Amino acid sequence: MNRIREVLKNQQFILVLALAVMVAFFSIKNPVFFSIPVFGNILSDWAPVVLMAVGETYVIMSGGIDLSVGSTVGLSGVAAAFVMRSMTTAGQNQNFTILVGTFIAMGVGLLIGLVNAFLITKARMVPFVATLATLGAARGLCIVTTGGGPIGEGPEKAISYSVPWFGPLNTPGIIIIVIVAICGLFMHKAKLGRYTYAIGSNSFAARSAGINVKLHLAKIYVLSGVLSGLAGMYLYIRLGSGSPSSGASGELMAIAAVVIGGASLSGGVGRMSGTVLGSLILTTVTSGLIIIGVAPNWNQVVVAVLIAGAVFIQGFRTWTKD
Amino acid sequence: MIRTSKKAAALVALAAAGALVAGVTATAARAADKITIAFVMGAESDPFFQAMKVGAEAQAKASGVTLIWQGDPSVYSPATQIPIADQVLAQNPSGLVLIPTDPVALQNTVTKAKTAGIPVVNVDTHVNDLTDVVSFITGDNADGGAKAADAMAKAIGYKKGGSYQVAVGLTSATATTNVARLEGFSKAIAKKYPGIKIVDKAYSSSQPSVANTNVNNWLTKFPKLNGIFAIDGTNADGASAAIQAKGLKGKVALVGYDAYAKNVKLIKSGVITALVAQDPAAEAKLAIKTLVEYIKTGKTATAKNVVIPNFVISASTSAADVAKYTYVQK
Repeated sequence: MNRIREVLKNQQFILVLALAVMVAFFSIKNPVFFSIPVFGNILSDWAPVVLMAVGETYVIMSGGIDLSVGSTVGLSGVAAAFVMRSMTTAGQNQNFTILVGTFIAMGVGLLIGLVNAFLITKARMVPFVATLATLGAARGLCIVTTGGGPIGEGPEKAISYSVPWFGPLNTPGIIIIVIVAICGLFMHKAKLGRYTYAIGSNSFAARSAGINVKLHLAKIYVLSGVLSGLAGMYLYIRLGSGSPSSGASGELMAIAAVVIGGASLSGGVGRMSGTVLGSLILTTVTSGLIIIGVAPNWNQVVVAVLIAGAVFIQGFRTWTKD
Repeated sequence: MIRTSKKAAALVALAAAGALVAGVTATAARAADKITIAFVMGAESDPFFQAMKVGAEAQAKASGVTLIWQGDPSVYSPATQIPIADQVLAQNPSGLVLIPTDPVALQNTVTKAKTAGIPVVNVDTHVNDLTDVVSFITGDNADGGAKAADAMAKAIGYKKGGSYQVAVGLTSATATTNVARLEGFSKAIAKKYPGIKIVDKAYSSSQPSVANTNVNNWLTKFPKLNGIFAIDGTNADGASAAIQAKGLKGKVALVGYDAYAKNVKLIKSGVITALVAQDPAAEAKLAIKTLVEYIKTGKTATAKNVVIPNFVISASTSAADVAKYTYVQK
């Protein structure tokens, strides 16, 4: 009984198990599922979700929430698309154009992150309300600037970067894995992570211990914005255009990934590996249901069950503590 | 505190004065026989309505009337449209072009307009009871679906006795345009091309990236897939990116809907096989023309129900027709 308890206390183990069961189930239903191209599809869906979710992990761990990540994805992709379109018309080098686009996307993310940070630390708004405001503003700007349609006519090479060449991985995917790993290290091995845990567990105690809570929170929201900006660029590369609807309800995907990964919305609890697995589970479900031919609307139901299951296991761990 | 309330009072007074002036000018405009046409559409952000706006503005200028163009920025819903329609009617326009987002919920708006002596034309969609509506002008979605089926059969080189696989990308299971297009498509397939099987359907929720995921998985799941019918612009975006990334350009036929400039370009490069284009600008032009005629003479030559035909753009379409049917976007 004790050993079962021990195993159930390990969220990572349960997540890996859940993922393995899913892969086995989908593969039995349709053997096509167990193939490099399908894993490629899953990873290309996973990349933007995990970028949003990693930033969201820091935010949630600090006891806050960032609802603006999905809209940031949309606006950064659109802004990058506008710049890349003019650069392409001007006959600029394609790789250079894509690089500039990436920085523009990150810059837009950075700006939205700064606005969030200002609203939360200076205007003293609660994170839920502050980021709800930027969610609406960013999505509105997407529509105002584009008139609703996607912005294309950028570098033709962009889509070719979304083609997997290293097994199921493409170049942006590999870069994203490295970024996620670095963010994970900072979360668990550096001051940035330790302070985040401290603020999330008890921000008063953190302040008395000499942590500059406001500055630290600002850093976290900016990080979340920049990572979402990168996700916006990733979607541009996938589609070859910046769509104003990109990343719509991405915030819910990100929060779901973090919660499935075992983090607590009240802050101070969670691990980056959980978020990585959580987002992988979400995107595996999406592809799996299409491959085995289940009506797409079931996706929402399955995700809901997963969230409930993850939170239940958290509760189970808490009960067995004593 | 007193100062703020004084300020507030001044503001209120100013606003009231503004409203009064606006009201007076509206009445004056009407008295001076200056015709004002109000155009209440679905969602400003949709390129379909953007193209319609271009047509409406051109016709308003040509007919020498003032145009009030209104609608929700992004949400296609009666909940947001009704208050906008009420505001517009309060300005007392000479005529109203209404694109009802719901056939039942917007009926009352038509009644209100009728009571105020404002003639109404419906475009694209219509209210249930058309008695008080001068004319209903629309594109034909079922016909568009059937034309897409023809374009698909041609693109995959359909031969009698062969067997072909086609998948359909939709926006949602309930949007009326999607339903009508799919129905037209399925019926034409069943009747004329029995060898084509619709192997799968998926929804994009108006997001190209979701459509992209759907198509990526189809291309893996159905290695023999012959074609994809993308029922709206977002599905065409997602599908064209997937086909390019998987190197299947020219191998998997892609028939799309709506002639967004970006997608028309993809016909030239061979990624999209054909696009079913509606003619939103023509719908808007006819609507305004009809209303102006009706306001001036009390009758109109326009039929009670006008269907503007769809047009299929493919690689063999003449440059002039491509230019004519491509949606103008700002």
